[in-house]
This record gives sequence, C-alpha cells and structure tokens, in this order.
Amino acid sequence: MASAFVAAFEILSFAAIIVLVVLGLGIIASMMGIFNFAQGEFVLLGAYVTYLAYGHGLPIWAGMVAAPVLVGALGFALEALIIRRFYAAPIVAMLGTYALGLIIRESVRGLIGGFYLTVPEPIGGSIDIGTTHISTWRLIIIVATVLVMGACYLLLSRTSFGLRVRATLENPSLARASGISTPLIYGTAFAFGAALAGLAGALIVPVFSLFADLGIRFLIQGFVAVMVGGVGSFIGPVVGAGVIGTMSAALPWVMAPVVADVLVFVLAIAFIKFRPQGLIAGRGV
Amino acid sequence: MGAAKQVVHADPGDGPDVAMAETRSTGGAAAEPSILLIVEGGVLLAALVLPLVLQDYLTVFATRVLILALFALSFDLVWGYAGIMSFGQALFFGCAGYGVALLARDLDITSIFLVLPAGTLIGLAVSLMLGGFLLLGRHQSSVIFVALGTLTGSYAADRLARGWYYLGGQNGIPSIPPMTLGSYDITEGPVYYYLALGILVVVYLLCRFLVRSQFGLALAGLRENEQRIAFFGYKTQHLKAIVFAVGGAIAGLAGSLYAYHEGFVWPSMLGVVLSTQVVLYVLFGGSGTLIGAVIGTLIIEGVSFWLSDNYRDVWPIILGVLLLLVILFRPLGLISFVVGERERVGSFGAKAKEKHNAAS
Repeated sequence: MASAFVAAFEILSFAAIIVLVVLGLGIIASMMGIFNFAQGEFVLLGAYVTYLAYGHGLPIWAGMVAAPVLVGALGFALEALIIRRFYAAPIVAMLGTYALGLIIRESVRGLIGGFYLTVPEPIGGSIDIGTTHISTWRLIIIVATVLVMGACYLLLSRTSFGLRVRATLENPSLARASGISTPLIYGTAFAFGAALAGLAGALIVPVFSLFADLGIRFLIQGFVAVMVGGVGSFIGPVVGAGVIGTMSAALPWVMAPVVADVLVFVLAIAFIKFRPQGLIAGRGV
Repeated sequence: MGAAKQVVHADPGDGPDVAMAETRSTGGAAAEPSILLIVEGGVLLAALVLPLVLQDYLTVFATRVLILALFALSFDLVWGYAGIMSFGQALFFGCAGYGVALLARDLDITSIFLVLPAGTLIGLAVSLMLGGFLLLGRHQSSVIFVALGTLTGSYAADRLARGWYYLGGQNGIPSIPPMTLGSYDITEGPVYYYLALGILVVVYLLCRFLVRSQFGLALAGLRENEQRIAFFGYKTQHLKAIVFAVGGAIAGLAGSLYAYHEGFVWPSMLGVVLSTQVVLYVLFGGSGTLIGAVIGTLIIEGVSFWLSDNYRDVWPIILGVLLLLVILFRPLGLISFVVGERERVGSFGAKAKEKHNAAS
C-alpha cells in the first residue's frame, strides 16, 4: 500500500512536470499554429536564470520569480523580431525556431560548459505521511502546476483579455475586423508561452540539475503530448501532457525503462496516426 | 514558395525555349553551359584533385565529408523535391550502419558487393516501413505529423540502441574489420576516398535523372501544391512514399559506407543530433538543388573543421546564427546566390529536341 502510494506520487509529480512544460508549447501551437522548437531552450533558460541567482548568492526563490519574467520578455522580443515572419509557413517556423534553439542552447553550453550543475531545493526535506516520505519540493511542483493551470484557465475563460485571445484563435480575420490587435495578441501569447517554459525550467532545475541538453529531453515529449491532446484548445495539450507524463512515469514500473520509453512514443505516434485531431478535438478553452 | 509560379510557368514557357534551342543548335554555335553545370563540374573537379594535394589525415576527413554529402543528398531528395520534412533521416543512416556492423561482427561478411547492397536494402526496408506508416493511410498526414513522427522514430531508435546489450549499448559496436574487395582490404585513405566519390557521383547522377524526369515534375508539383497534383489524378501519398523510400535507401548506403570508414558504429548515428545536422547542411547549401546539399555539407563541415582548433565553443552558435539568417533572408540557400530561380527549377521529362522531332 505504502509503496503504491509512493509510486502514485512519483507518477503524479512527473506528469505535473510534463504538463508544466507542455502548457506553453500547447498555447503557442494552438494560437499561432507553429511548433516552437526553441521551447525546450526556454525551459533551459529558466533553469539557467535560477542557477545564476543561486550562484550570485541571491535567494533561489528570487531566481524562480525572475525566470518567467526574463524568459517571457525574451520571448516577446524574439516574437517581434523573428517568429512573426514565420506564421504563414509552419515548416519554416519549425526550422527557424530550431535555429533559435540551437543558438540559445549552444550559448548556454558555452557559459556553463559540459557540466551538470545542481541547484538546491529552496524548500527541502520531506513530508511524512504515516510510514512513507514524499519530497516536499515535488509536492510543491504539483501544487504549482495545478495553480498555473487554474490561473491559465481563469485568464482565458473569465477575463476580457482571454476573450480576445480566444477570438484571435478562432477567427483571426474577424478578430482583426472587430478591432483586436492580433499581432499584439500573438506577441503576448508567445511571451506567455515562453514565460511558462521559463517557470517550468526554474521549478524543475532542483530535480533534474542544470545541463545544456536539459531542454531537448522535454521537447520531443512535449510535441508528442501536444499532438496526442489535440492542437487548438487550451485543455487538449494539458490532457495530452497528463497522458504522456503518466505513461512515461508509470510504464518503467512494469517493464524495462528503455522499452517503456520507446513504447510510449510508438503508442503516441500510432494514436495520432489514427486520430489526427487528438484526444480533444475542437477549439475554445 | 516563389517556385510555385515558376513550376506552373515552366510548361507553357517550354515552347519558345525549344525554338531557341533549335535555332542555336542549327546555327552551329555551342550552347552556353549553364551556371548549375559549371558549379557541379567545379565541385567534381575539386573533389577529384583533392587527395593529391591533401595530407593523409585530411583525406580521411574529406572522405567523411563526402559520405555525409551522400547522406545530405538523401535528405535533399525527400525535403527539397517532395516536400516531406524528414526530421529523422539519421534513422536509416544509423540502421544501415548497425546492420552492416552486425553482418561483419556476427557473420564475417565484409565483401563490398554484399555490404553496400545490404546497407541500401536496410535503409530501403526501414524507410518503407516508417514511410508506409506515416505517409499512407486513410487520413492525409500533415507535414507536422510526418516531421514529428520521423523525429520521434530517430529519437526512439537512439534510445533503444543505447539500452540494447546486443547492439553494444552506449558504446556501440567497435572495431569493424575493413571492407574487402576480393582479397584486397579497402582501408581509409585515398582508395576509400575515391570509392566514396565514385558512389556519390553515381548516386548524384541517378538522383539528377530522377528529379528531371516526368516523375520529378510530379514531385515538384507535389511540393508546390499538393492538392492540385492530387486533382490531376496522381496518388500523392504513393509518390511521397516512393521518394521517402528512395531517400532511405540512399541514406542506408551512406550509413554503411560511414560505418566501415569510421570502423565502428555508435547510437548517435541514429539520433536526433545527426538528423538535424543533415537538415542544416541542406538548408544551408540550398534545398531543391542536388548540388546545394553537397555544397552545404562541404562548407559546414569544412568550416567547422577549420574553426575547431580555436573556436570550437563558438562555432555552433555562429552556425545557428548563420542558419537563422539563411532561413530568414535566403530561404533557397547559398546556392541561390549563383544559380537563378529558373535554372533551379529546370526542365523536366524527355529532351525538348526529341519531343519536337516527334511532333513534326
């Protein structure tokens, strides 16, 4: 019973991490119809900012607050300068964002070298529940994920800004005709997606430590999750991320980790093949 | 992109062209060789004399570059001509490499007449399976899906190879014996160089023939406007699967050459890094021209070798910036500086002269 609980917690916390990473990816894919290959590098940058704050003697949580802000600002600038040119051509966008990601990744590699740098958890220790111990920080990641998801949902469904975003998503030309500045919405959405990735990077760096290829690890998983969930809605990528994250974390408990890893991808690709619209088809929140 | 108009206009534009070619040839004046031909000839000439002037270790490096150019050719065929974004081309390259390595290790087969066909067949088989799954079927596959599917395939194969003891795990399969021709060992150096060059030239000419045929015309149409080609009655999915398989076979050939040249195979040969590297080569040189893929490989590998002493850390960043600039401002690659749009698209099918004669 106790071990089953620990397993469930592990699975849940990993799924939460994937959801956190995928949220930004999904928003960008749904809004602009482009798959952002630099998203993994935004995660990396978030982690790097946190490491920098820690390295300069600042409190780690300060780094974690700064990470989404800085990465979001960078995302806004990149969107205005470069990404904006790609909207008409999704493949060119993939290649362009790949080049961007390459630049960011190799710059960070140049800055930190080939090392694995650890950042301690700002709130360490574990919580005892009966005879089992669960890591406090992983619990915080789960809580943070739930909060971020809730905040995103409220933002999109309850505010006038969210209404504009949904209008732009559903019918860009009509939205433009109604006086909504779609370029601004796109810019904001991209920055928001980047900020979420930055936050994800900041939160997971104590778990995974910082290394230059941190982003790649999540990138493919993230793409597959978005496709499984379905592009075009807020909830689709989240559900997809939940499914992929849960499977990635749960299957290694019953089979060899390598086989499990590959099996998740094979199953996911096969699923997308036969249901291209994803688990949750349709638009809206 | 801009080529859409060109392709459509190429056909009606044929008439005056034919007439011009006729008058020129009847006038007895030699036809002006095109820039594309000059570039191709120049690269071939340079490649032919290179081992004579290079030191031995540089010849070994040059051989590696030639094999990578062959690999780049396979991607160019798939992306530049059929518009299939294969982000996992290294899968076929690596599978063939592992395949021939296993043949050498477990069955002692190293004869060139068995190894290279085996590698090609492995590439063909794997790409047929993956392409058949990703491209064929009731639903029309989106470009993004194919890109992610191939990327995932490459990533999964990499992971699998790393964890599979039979394939040597992380370390791969070391010390593959040299390729043999009868009792003669083909070892790295000028001999291997000319072997790779010969194969590259043959494959290049085959590809050139393929993309300049009626089949190539259908491919160009497919790349520019898939729906229209479908309305013309082509089975676009089948066309795509065929090209994908041909690309896989070429990648397999390159992979088996590479495995024997390096003397060992390792999981990264299957992985995402190599898959994206080949994308860089082709985009940089210019997709949609076969020579662009070769030139891109030569330039990127050459410069990276040249800079690797002093600027190893900075080079990938420069490469990323250059790539971004090329994508933003020169989507047709470096080759578009010298070869014009019209020549890039070229003409298709049988020689215009024969057509003319048949008509009259």
